[in-house]
Amino acid sequence: MKIKEAEGNAKIKQAYANAVPDICGVILSECEQKEGKVIVMTEEKKKRGFIKYLMAAASLVLVLGAGALLTNVYRLNYAVSSTVSLDVNPSIQITVNEKERVLEVKALNKDGGIVIGDMDFEGSDIDVTMNALIGSMLRKGYLNELANSILISVDNNDPAKGEQLQEKLTEKVNELLESDGFFGAVLGQTIRENGNLQQLAEQYGITQGKAQLIQQILDSTTGHTFEELAPLTINELNLIISTGTSSVEKVSSLGYASDKAYIGEDKAKETAFAHAGVSGQDILFYEMDMDLEKGVMVYEIEFKCGGFEYEYDIDAQTGEIIKNKKEVDDDFPAGSQASSGKTDDPDAGSQSPAPGTKTPDAGSQTPASGTNTPAAGTQSPGGNTATPPSSPQDGVGNAGGTSGILTLEQAKEIALNHAGQSASNVYFDKVELDHDHGMQKYEIEFIAGSTEYDYEIDAVTGAILKYDWDQDDDHMHISESSGNGAGGAVGTITSEQAKEIALNHAGQSASGVYFDKVDLDYDDGIQKYEVEFVSGNMEYDYEIDAITGAILKYDWDQD
Amino acid sequence: MLDMTSMKKLRADCNPDAVEQCLFGIQRQESGALEEFYYRTSASVYGFALSVLKNAQDAEDIMHDFYVVVWSAAEKYRPGGKPMAWVLTITRNLCLQKLREYRKKSDIPQEDWENYVRDNGNMSAEDKMILAECLRNLSDEERRIVLLHTVSGFKHREIAKFLELPLSTVLSKHNRALKKLRKIYGGEQ
Repeated sequence: MKIKEAEGNAKIKQAYANAVPDICGVILSECEQKEGKVIVMTEEKKKRGFIKYLMAAASLVLVLGAGALLTNVYRLNYAVSSTVSLDVNPSIQITVNEKERVLEVKALNKDGGIVIGDMDFEGSDIDVTMNALIGSMLRKGYLNELANSILISVDNNDPAKGEQLQEKLTEKVNELLESDGFFGAVLGQTIRENGNLQQLAEQYGITQGKAQLIQQILDSTTGHTFEELAPLTINELNLIISTGTSSVEKVSSLGYASDKAYIGEDKAKETAFAHAGVSGQDILFYEMDMDLEKGVMVYEIEFKCGGFEYEYDIDAQTGEIIKNKKEVDDDFPAGSQASSGKTDDPDAGSQSPAPGTKTPDAGSQTPASGTNTPAAGTQSPGGNTATPPSSPQDGVGNAGGTSGILTLEQAKEIALNHAGQSASNVYFDKVELDHDHGMQKYEIEFIAGSTEYDYEIDAVTGAILKYDWDQDDDHMHISESSGNGAGGAVGTITSEQAKEIALNHAGQSASGVYFDKVDLDYDDGIQKYEVEFVSGNMEYDYEIDAITGAILKYDWDQD
Repeated sequence: MLDMTSMKKLRADCNPDAVEQCLFGIQRQESGALEEFYYRTSASVYGFALSVLKNAQDAEDIMHDFYVVVWSAAEKYRPGGKPMAWVLTITRNLCLQKLREYRKKSDIPQEDWENYVRDNGNMSAEDKMILAECLRNLSDEERRIVLLHTVSGFKHREIAKFLELPLSTVLSKHNRALKKLRKIYGGEQ
């Protein structure tokens, strides 16, 4: 059997491999062109300047290099005075003596080695060395329009001296990058000795400077781990720092980190606004951060509009909406809500179903419908169960015109309507707009009497995607006042019969199995028994229609 | 860089270390690495896109976009020995984007054999039979599980994580799928 399985697997693999259209050539040539395009697309001026700069950098190296030789700077002073580390993605460590002459240039990762190549800097001036290294990074594409950030860290036993050197180098490098239209971003810092950081740096194969920078980000933000941030490039770290709200102290920053590798803030903003169905001019508050979410760079966009607070995480690369959240804006003045624009109208309209039972207080809370328990609290004493929700369809129509997605209120009404309940005698557990596999849906949970309702409603079409009713066992026989036929009936087969059906089907006898679970459940409006039992190392899982005794689903698992 | 024949031998070989090495090469913008990466992963990317979009033209478009994205975004890959999960997550995101476009236009293309498989001259009669069996007998989910297991080399646990299903469900669905594919796997299981 194993052999056959392996053979079958191989056949399927082969079939799929053969089915793939061979477009490798197309992709390769496109990618190569794309690389060329990046340069072509930048303005002519920039391109020329760029080359000019490279030549300037190269000649600078030559001239200063020659000068260095003439003045015989190769001193026998081997004492390390400062350690300078350069991080882009390549990490390079430079040790210099007191005269700021280079003792050693060491690559701390593979990319660092590529940048250094076969250049020998021993005895050169630190400025010259920096020039040459940055020139090499530019030439080899490590510093480019897409990733333009560089971190310079200086470690000197004398902090004042270290700081002085760091300032000098930061400015120098910034000047180099800035010349001729290449916009670089330089971060500079002075290393403070810290055994812990040194250990982390070694563990992750990064410079102590980068470790310190990461530590500072961790100290000022939450939700990240060192492990997560360590593989990021300096450009990505710089984006997180520079767009974040928390400031990272003790790091001097010049220039702006490039986000050209990403879709850009404008595009991200556009995506979020379009998705929320709002227009830019209605926005009251807006904030954008770049951050790392589960290993992916994202634009975190927050804005307030029409009494709601929106939060989006948008994949910085693909523009995919990874997460979105819509909440009632607590700060929004209740009085001004009604007059604040069209988007509120459908909310107000859809509230009409149970106007009689509302206290004025609850009324003013209407647009803020969301999740607040106070509203539910004031509603339940109202207790007018008879009022059927009136024409929710009107509400749906209105909303379509303004925002593109249903309001919370409308989604609640669809669920209530379907469940045959009215807002006044249910307690809402959860009303949430959720983004799942590219679909927006409302998740609505409410309780009426002893029954728990659980709905998922498509936020665009208003279709009920899934629903589930659960009743506490104690109340099993309390029939529902529900309009839905399935709700009222009590199973016509007993749990014993359900067990028997499952056992028969599995070819087991009651004495040989251990029952894990025998439950009566409502799912998709059908009453069914969920029966689970174990025999030996097999686990059986059955769903049995409580009315007909039919096996709806079964699953056998071997542990 | 490898020559064409040895390249083709690598087809659908998703050995994680080798795929990761390719990604490192792409990070250095080596086109040879992209080429090898293509041959190793295209069956997974194409197969998965096909299982979501059920349309050969769309799957091809996704595949094209995928490699272009990877070329310019390979530095986003974090070494960790799970390059195929990364590959398929990007593929899935691209597919979802496509689906959303369709939802907007509400013209989802026909799901039928004609659209599902396009003859590219490389397929044997047996290959076609196998794909037809997979399409006809398996649910979308089962097909995805079989594909991830056989073509992308995912372990059951990895499939469970990727598809957000309990491990037990993946195991039983896979088992059931194998039974449904008697023609491919031989009579008795």
